[in-house]
Amino acid sequence: MNKKAISLMVRAVIAGAMISCAGLASATVYTQCPGDLNGDGDNIDAGEDSTVKCMHLSGGDGYIKMADDRPMYMFGFGNMTGVPDGQVMSEGVLSAEFPAPSIDLKEGQPFYLTLSNVGMVMRPDLFDPHTVHFHGFPNASSVFDGLPDTGIAINMGASLTYYYNVQDPGTYMYHCHVEATEHMQMGMLGNLYVHPKQDGTPIEYPAASGRIFDKFVYNDGDGSTGYDVEVPIQIGSFDSRFHDASEGVQPLPFAEMEDNYPMMNGRGYPDTVIQGSLPSVDSYLDPGIPFKPGRQTQRVSTHIEATQGEKILLRLSNLNVTRFYSLNTLGIPMQVVGMGAKQHISPDGKKLYYKTNSVTLGGGEAIDVLLDTADVAAGKYYLYTGNLNYLSNGDEDFGGMMTEIIVN
Amino acid sequence: MKLLRSFAALTSALVLSATSLTVQAEIMGIEGTTTDGHQKTFNLEAAAAAISTPDGDNLLIWAYGDLDNAATEVQYPGPTIIVHEGDAVTINLTNTDIAEPVSMVFPGMQNVAAVVSNDLNIDGSTDRVVLTEEASIGETVTYSFTASKPGTYLYHSGSNPDLQVEMGLSGALIVRPATNPDSQAYNNADSAYDHEYLYFLTEMDTAIHQAVDLGLQPDTSNYHAVLWFMNGRNGPDTMFDHNVAWMPHQPYGSLTRMHPGEKVLLRIIGAGHDMHPLHTHGNHFLQIARDGQVLTSDPANAATVGADLAFGDYTQQVLPGATYDAIFEWTGRNMGWDIYGHTAGDGSLCNGQETASDSTDPVSFEDCRYHNAPIPVDLPENLDLTFGGFYSGSPYLGSMESLPPGEGGLNLNGGLFFMWHSHTEKELVNNDIFPGGMMTMLIVEPPGVPIP
Repeated sequence: MNKKAISLMVRAVIAGAMISCAGLASATVYTQCPGDLNGDGDNIDAGEDSTVKCMHLSGGDGYIKMADDRPMYMFGFGNMTGVPDGQVMSEGVLSAEFPAPSIDLKEGQPFYLTLSNVGMVMRPDLFDPHTVHFHGFPNASSVFDGLPDTGIAINMGASLTYYYNVQDPGTYMYHCHVEATEHMQMGMLGNLYVHPKQDGTPIEYPAASGRIFDKFVYNDGDGSTGYDVEVPIQIGSFDSRFHDASEGVQPLPFAEMEDNYPMMNGRGYPDTVIQGSLPSVDSYLDPGIPFKPGRQTQRVSTHIEATQGEKILLRLSNLNVTRFYSLNTLGIPMQVVGMGAKQHISPDGKKLYYKTNSVTLGGGEAIDVLLDTADVAAGKYYLYTGNLNYLSNGDEDFGGMMTEIIVN
Repeated sequence: MKLLRSFAALTSALVLSATSLTVQAEIMGIEGTTTDGHQKTFNLEAAAAAISTPDGDNLLIWAYGDLDNAATEVQYPGPTIIVHEGDAVTINLTNTDIAEPVSMVFPGMQNVAAVVSNDLNIDGSTDRVVLTEEASIGETVTYSFTASKPGTYLYHSGSNPDLQVEMGLSGALIVRPATNPDSQAYNNADSAYDHEYLYFLTEMDTAIHQAVDLGLQPDTSNYHAVLWFMNGRNGPDTMFDHNVAWMPHQPYGSLTRMHPGEKVLLRIIGAGHDMHPLHTHGNHFLQIARDGQVLTSDPANAATVGADLAFGDYTQQVLPGATYDAIFEWTGRNMGWDIYGHTAGDGSLCNGQETASDSTDPVSFEDCRYHNAPIPVDLPENLDLTFGGFYSGSPYLGSMESLPPGEGGLNLNGGLFFMWHSHTEKELVNNDIFPGGMMTMLIVEPPGVPIP
C-alpha cells in the first residue's frame, strides 16, 4: 500500500470518527426555517408556507475539475437545502461547490440561511469554524456579518442560522470570512443577488420604443435597467500551488500567492461555454477519496445566450484574492447601470450610466452591465479578461477567464 | 439563549444625553507655524529610521518628520500637513542623513515653486527620475504654493521616487475649506461630517529595504510586496491609538468610531505602487470627490450645486496616486429586528412610543418599525461557536453578555465592530503570517459613548 493510500485511510477513519462524534457532543445540525414542517430545512414542500426564503449550506471541503482536466482540492459551500438535518453530516462530506450555490433573493422576502460546518474530511488536522459574510449588505449587524473577529463563527458539527431582512436590490456576493486569505483562496465564494420589487411591472423603455421589460436590476422607476436575460458571473482565480499545499498539509504560501487558474463561475474556457453543471470530477479522483459518485460541484453556468433584440444583464463580481481583473467585450458594448449593489445614479437621481468595452474589478467589487443585442448582428461574441495572460488554464496557454455571448 | 443584557439600562440612560456629547473628531496632523494666520510655514526633515512590523521584522525606512516639534520622530507616513483654503504654504525640507538627494512633490497643488538654499543638486547623471528641486545631506530646499483648493491630497518624494516612496517618503496633505472648515471636506454642504478619518494605503517589498540597509543596489523594477499598510501600520497595529510609545515612527492609527446616524468622512489615499479594493463592512459609502475635485456637474458653482454626481458603492477602487473622499453612515435601518434588543414592557421608547411605529428615533436612529422585535433566530450554544475578540457577547448594540473564559474582551462599550480592509485578501497578511495587513475596524458605538 503506498503512502498516499495510507494517508487517505487515516483521513477516512478520522472523518468517520468526526461524524460519529457529532451526535455525542452538544453539536448538532439544526436548521431554522419558518414554514418547514417536515424538518428538511426548506419550506417548499406540499402544504408548507414559503413566505420566507430558506437555504441550507454546508461549509467544508471538496474537489472541482479545472479546464485542463486537473482535479483541484478546495474548501467551499455545498447545498444541503432539503436534506434532513440528521443526514447532513454524512451528505455534506466533500460537498463543496465552486462557486458556492447561488443565493437568489427577492426584495422584501426575509431570508434564513443555515450554515452547517461539516468539517474538512481531507484535512482532519483542521478544526476551522466557518461563516457566511453577506458582502455589501447595507446596515449590517455584526452578529450576522460573518466576520469571525467581530462576531461568531460556527464550529464543526453544528449549525448557525443567519437572518437577513432583504430590502435592497442589487448584486452582492458571499464568502466565508474565517481566515479569509486562506478560506477564500481555497474557494468559499459565491454569487448573491437581490431582485427588485419592480419586477413583474411592465415598463416600456425607452418611451414609445415598443420594448417592454418586466425584469429590472433596480427599482429605477423608468425601466432603464430593464433586461430579458440574466447571467451572474463571478470571476475568480486559484493558485494551484496553494491548493496543493493545503491538500498535502504543507505550509501555505501566503506571500508568494499568485493565481494561475483564472475562472468565471468556477470554470475556465472552454468549460465556460458548457450549459448547466459540469460533469462530476469523481472519475479524476483517487478511489480512496470518499467523494460521492456523480456529485456535481461546478453547477453555475456562464452560458450567455439571447435572441437579437433582447437585453442581457451581466451581474459581474470579483472574489479572487490576489489581483484586479478587467473584463472586456468584443462587438457588444456594455452599459454600466449599477455598481456595488447601487443603481449608478447620483443622490438626486441623475443617471451616471455609461457605455464601455471594459470594466475593471478588484476583489469585492461588483458591477451591473446591460448588453443590448438590438444593435448587433446575430452571431458569437466574447466576454474575456483584458489581462490577456490570464487566458490560460494552469500551464495550458489557452482558455481561462473567457466565455461566449451567443446572439440568435 | 439567555440574554443578560447587563448594559441595556445603561444604554437607555445614555441615549438621553447623546446629542450633547457628540464631539468633532479630527485627523492628526501638523498645522505649521504662522504669524498672520494665513502664511503657514513647515519645517520638515527627511531621515532614516527603523520600524518594526508585526511579523517580527525590522525594516529600514526613509521618512519625513516635523522639525518644529522636537518631541516627534520621523514617521511613516510623513506628518499629515493640514492647511486651510487660500493659505500661502512654505515648506522647508532638510535632508538630515539620507545619502541621496530627497525632495517633495505635491500632486494637485498648482504653481509650486521650489528654491534651494545651498548649491543646486539636481542629479546630472540622468540615471534616476527627478521631478523637482532636491536637498542633499545637510541641505535644505524650500517649496511654496498657495493651497487654493480644499481637498484630500498626498505628497511624496520627487527624487528617485520608485525607491524613495517605497522607502517611506510620502504623506497626506489636507486643505480645509473656507466654509465650515472643521465640519466639511469641501465648501458644499453635502460634504459635512461628524467624524473624519484618514486611510493612507501603501505596501512594501522587504527585499528593497534590506538591500538599502546592506548598502546593496535595490531592485525596484522587480517589485513584490509582502507587507501592506494602512496609515503606516500593518494590522492589527492599525487598531492601536495614535502615538503609542512602541511605534515611535508609526504614530497614526486608523481605528474608526461613530454613533448610529452620524456621518463619517473617509479620506482615502492610494500612496503605494498597487491598486487596492477597500471594502467597508457594515454599509455602503457615498463617494463625493476624487483627487480633491468634488464630483459635481458644475465645478464653478460646486459650493451651491454640491456633489450632485456622487455615487454609492461598497468597495472603493483605490488606485496609485489617487485620493477619494467618501461619506459613510450607519443606522441599522431595515434590519428586521430591534438592534438595541428592547423588549415589550421594558419601558423603552422609540421616537417617543413604546410600540413599533413607522418612524426613526431621532437620537438612537433605531428603526421604530422593529421596536421590541427580537432577533428572529436562535443563536447556537456557546460550545458550538468560535467568538471574535471584538464581539460583545450580544448581537444587540449597547449590550454585553458573558462569554466563555478567554473569549471576547476587546469590546468595551457593547459596540458593533466592522472590518474595513483591502479585499485583495492576500493583502491581509504580514509576510506569510495571517492575519494582518491592510485592515482596520469601524466601531459603531452605542449613542452616548464619547468619541474623541
